[in-house]
Amino acid sequence: MTNPANIVNTGPDTLEIPEISGTSEMSGVLTFSFKRTQGDFSLEVAGGFGSGITALFGPSGSGKTTLLNCLAGLLRPEDGEIVLAGRDLYRASSRTFVPPDKRSIGLVFQDGALFPHMSVARNVMYGWRRTPESERRVDVDYVVELLGLGPLMDRSPGSLSGGERQRVAIARALAMSPGLLLLDEPMASLDARLRGVVLSYLRRVHEDLGIPMVYVSHSISEVLALADDALVLSGGKVMASGLPARVLLDPALGGMFQDDPVENLLDGIVSDPGGPEASGKVRVGSAEIVTPSAGRPAGEPVIMALGADEIILAISEPSGLSARNVVAGSITELEPVGDGVYASVDIGVPVLVALTHGAVNELGLERGQDVYLVFKTSSIKLLEAAPIAVR
Amino acid sequence: MSSDLTIVFLSLRVAALAMMFALPIGFGLAWILVRKQVRGRFLIEAVVSLPLALPPVVIGYGLLILLGSRGPFDGLAFTTFAASLASAIVALPLIVRTFVVALEGVDPRLELAARSLGAGPWRVLVSVTIPLAYRGLLAGSLIGFVRALSEFGATIVVAGNIPGRTQTLPLGIFTRIQAGDDSAALRLVAVSIALAIATLVVHDMLLRRGGLSGRRHRAGFGA
Repeated sequence: MTNPANIVNTGPDTLEIPEISGTSEMSGVLTFSFKRTQGDFSLEVAGGFGSGITALFGPSGSGKTTLLNCLAGLLRPEDGEIVLAGRDLYRASSRTFVPPDKRSIGLVFQDGALFPHMSVARNVMYGWRRTPESERRVDVDYVVELLGLGPLMDRSPGSLSGGERQRVAIARALAMSPGLLLLDEPMASLDARLRGVVLSYLRRVHEDLGIPMVYVSHSISEVLALADDALVLSGGKVMASGLPARVLLDPALGGMFQDDPVENLLDGIVSDPGGPEASGKVRVGSAEIVTPSAGRPAGEPVIMALGADEIILAISEPSGLSARNVVAGSITELEPVGDGVYASVDIGVPVLVALTHGAVNELGLERGQDVYLVFKTSSIKLLEAAPIAVR
Repeated sequence: MSSDLTIVFLSLRVAALAMMFALPIGFGLAWILVRKQVRGRFLIEAVVSLPLALPPVVIGYGLLILLGSRGPFDGLAFTTFAASLASAIVALPLIVRTFVVALEGVDPRLELAARSLGAGPWRVLVSVTIPLAYRGLLAGSLIGFVRALSEFGATIVVAGNIPGRTQTLPLGIFTRIQAGDDSAALRLVAVSIALAIATLVVHDMLLRRGGLSGRRHRAGFGA
């Protein structure tokens, strides 16, 4: 059972915002505090985004898209302020409203919203051409290469696959050298295999170009794999913000995410491709993990998906198991969520393990404890990752 | 009686001038109806559609009151301009209706995406909205042009039937029928039919290739 003191009454009148500290970067590239009413839905938010990747998380109808549209200037708030890097984009008191084309905020829509009457190249260049020369900080050729768009440049958007369309949309938004990139569920229309690719492209884009990103998602797994910060919206209010693992696993919010099975999406490099009858091997963090046949040569990047409830946790090194993977690590977090507990275990990278309260009590698990993770080869799915850039 | 050529060229001139008023205004109204949540939307729709429901003679008479000797725009009645204005008003409902369908086919998110990429409202119009809706816009313009060419009732009331100034094709045919000159009337009838068929063929080609809304663009350009 969860400690009753941790349960937040989510009734509209008695809403408490759990006090969860953010990361150091939360000081804010963009800060906002405003109100926007639409029919009987009202968005009333205050918060900020840092220079990293912030995940905007929340159930559908919680106001995520409305928030993004207000930030991008496609909707006008009724009161309050929006400040990007010290510049007022909106301030009710001084009647400041910077139109969307003067905000330098890139927006990537759910299905890309590519211009169907233009080639991929013209789509990508659309924003670049409208950016004053002095403000062009992003090298378009580099973005095209980074996102692997070279062979697609002459194609028409109608002939692209979902993942290709998203990459073009991301490149188009990046080419205008935005001060902030907003991504509205860019994975919503993609199948799991392509998610891995787009996810790894996004991470690379962020690492290489350092453009702050806000990423809207329904998926805890994606958020954990991608984001430095998380901001949780519900019913038009900011419920929590801070480190993704802490925020999303906060017991006060547990009910919101219980139905979504948490999957670890871990970056790895193929070390042994395996074969038709033989397992492969993938290096993740400091561990070498036995996986299903990789189907790609050694040295290639992959994303390893492993459900948090597929992992067994042991306090001493087990032997004589049919499971092929026994990996040593140490517990960094133990967070009760709903009926269970999530342990974050550091094996060079953080891995989430779903546990029951009973198991935690019986094993006497605590933070800092050394443990072993046990999981079967067949529990692992390997997702395609973006190829390593040429440069 | 003016010559066939005079009548045909005057008709084309009147209809072209009519389009110079009707197309921009029609586009503006259609855009407001499709993209803006304005109050009094019903009123705009009603006023725009009214010329479709009223006898053209009534419109002509209304214009005559405005442009005639006791109206605020005295001196404009019985001019080529008056004939064009009458044609424009009668053609406007058809233009607005086709333009509305054409604009409804343009995904508003594409316009928003263009705004967020640094394009101002006019740039969005020119680079996204119009290219995506152009088939429907062209079809609507053609329909409006033919309607302006065939305008009779409103024109004869506000502009009269002055050879070389306001005597367009339908008025010319009417005059020749009244004069009992069947062969002269039939020559103009033949021109009318030829113009109508040519327009309808082009219109039909536009629609068949792209659909009024221009949605086919999704599958690639000019495919």
